[in-house]
Amino acid sequence: MKHIRLQINGVWRTGWANPGQTLLDFLREELNCTEVKKGCGKGDCGACTVIMNGISIDSCLTLALQAEGAEIITAKGLGTKDNPHPLQEAFIEKGAFQCGFCTPGMILSAKALLDKNPKPNREEIRRGLSGNICRCTGYRKIEEAVASASERSSNQSDDRELKDQ
Amino acid sequence: MLLREDGKARLIAGGTDLILEIRDHANSFEALVDVSRIPGLDRIHSDGERIHLGPLVTMTQVEESLLLKQHAIALWEACSWVGGPQIRNRATLAGNIVSAQPAADGAIALVALNAGLKILGFQGERDLMLSDSYIGVGRSAIDASREMITCIEFEGQHQGEASAFRRMAQRKAMALPQLNCAVWIASSVGYCTNARIAVGPVATMPFRARQAEAYLVGKPLTDETITACAAAIQEEVQPRDSMLRGSGLYRKEMAEALARETIKLAISRLEGSLA
Repeated sequence: MKHIRLQINGVWRTGWANPGQTLLDFLREELNCTEVKKGCGKGDCGACTVIMNGISIDSCLTLALQAEGAEIITAKGLGTKDNPHPLQEAFIEKGAFQCGFCTPGMILSAKALLDKNPKPNREEIRRGLSGNICRCTGYRKIEEAVASASERSSNQSDDRELKDQ
Repeated sequence: MLLREDGKARLIAGGTDLILEIRDHANSFEALVDVSRIPGLDRIHSDGERIHLGPLVTMTQVEESLLLKQHAIALWEACSWVGGPQIRNRATLAGNIVSAQPAADGAIALVALNAGLKILGFQGERDLMLSDSYIGVGRSAIDASREMITCIEFEGQHQGEASAFRRMAQRKAMALPQLNCAVWIASSVGYCTNARIAVGPVATMPFRARQAEAYLVGKPLTDETITACAAAIQEEVQPRDSMLRGSGLYRKEMAEALARETIKLAISRLEGSLA
C-alpha cells in the first residue's frame, strides 16, 4: 500500500492505493468518487472515462499509482445542478439519457473532444465518442447534445473551464 | 531497478494491454516499473534521413503528427484504428510492438515501413529490426523485464515512394481487425522498384508477403500487375479459423481483396506525389 496524493476536480485528495489497483477502483472505493462508473473493466465501454492531465483515459486501464500527482476531472467537476456545464445542459435538453449509466463517461469524452476541437462535425463527434458504449443504444440524442453544446459554447464564449486548466 | 529485481519486475507505460493481463491473471509480476512519466521519451522527430519515435509516443500523438502523415501515412492510418480515443491517448506504439500480437495495426504498418528498434538492456544498447523481434503469438524477443525500447525508427519518405494501410473489421471503431494490410512501394517511371507488404493476422507474427513483393518488383504498375500480386498474397497467407475474426477460408479469400485495395491506395498516392 502506498499513500498517494492527486487532484480531483481541483481539490487535492489523498488515499491508500494498492500496487495493482486500477485508478477506477481507487477513485470509487478509496475516494468515494462513485460518479466514475465501472462497466466492463477492460477498456471497451468507456463508462470509467476520466480526464487526466487534460487527456481522456479509461481509468480501468490505468493504475492508481500512475496517477500520483495528476489532475483528474470527473463528471462531478464539470458543473453543479444550479450551474451546469454547457454539455450537461445540452444532455438534459436533448434527453440524451436512457438508463444514464454511460452518461458521465460520454460527457467527459465529449468535453475532451470539444477542448481539442470546439466545432466538430457529426463524423468527428461520432469518432470522439467511439470509445464509449451506450447499451441502451441512445446514440442519436447523445450526438445531438454534443453538437448543441458545441454551438452553445461558441455562441456564448463563456468559458467555464476549471480554473487551474 | 529492473536489474535489482533480476527479471521479476516489468516495465509499464500506457498499460492498456498489461493491466488486462494482470486483471485476468494471465501474467503476474513482483513489481512494475512505471516509465510513463519520464520526460522526453515521447518525441517524434526527423533528422532529415530517418524518423525517430520515442518509446512513449502514443497512438494519439501519431494520429496528430503532420510529419508522420506526410512521411508514413500507413502508420498514421493504422494508429487511428486502435481502440477508441481513451485507449489511443494511453497506448504506446512501443507497447504495440512488445505485446507482439500478429494483428497489431501499428506494428503491421511499421513492418511495411521496415522499422528498426534501439533497445537498451543491462549489457548496453543493441539494434534489432522490428520484423526480427517476434518469437511467437504474443511473444517478443524484447524482454520487458530486462530491457526497453528506446527508439523506433524508419526512413522518411522519398520522391517516388508511398505507403498505405487498410483493415477489415466488423465495426468502424473499437473492433479488432479481421485482417489488416500495410503496403510500402517505391517506383520509377511507372515501374515498381521496391515493395514491402505486411499482412495480419495471418501467421504467428506480422506477415511479410515476400513472394508477392518479389513478383511486384520490376513490373509496370498496371491493374493486371496489382491483380496478380494480390492473388499471390492470397496464396501466401495462412489465416486460422477464429471465433473473433472469421474462418480461415473466408479470410484467405478476403486477403486478396484487402491487399488489392491497399496496393491501389498506395499507388494512387505515388501518382499524387509525382504530379
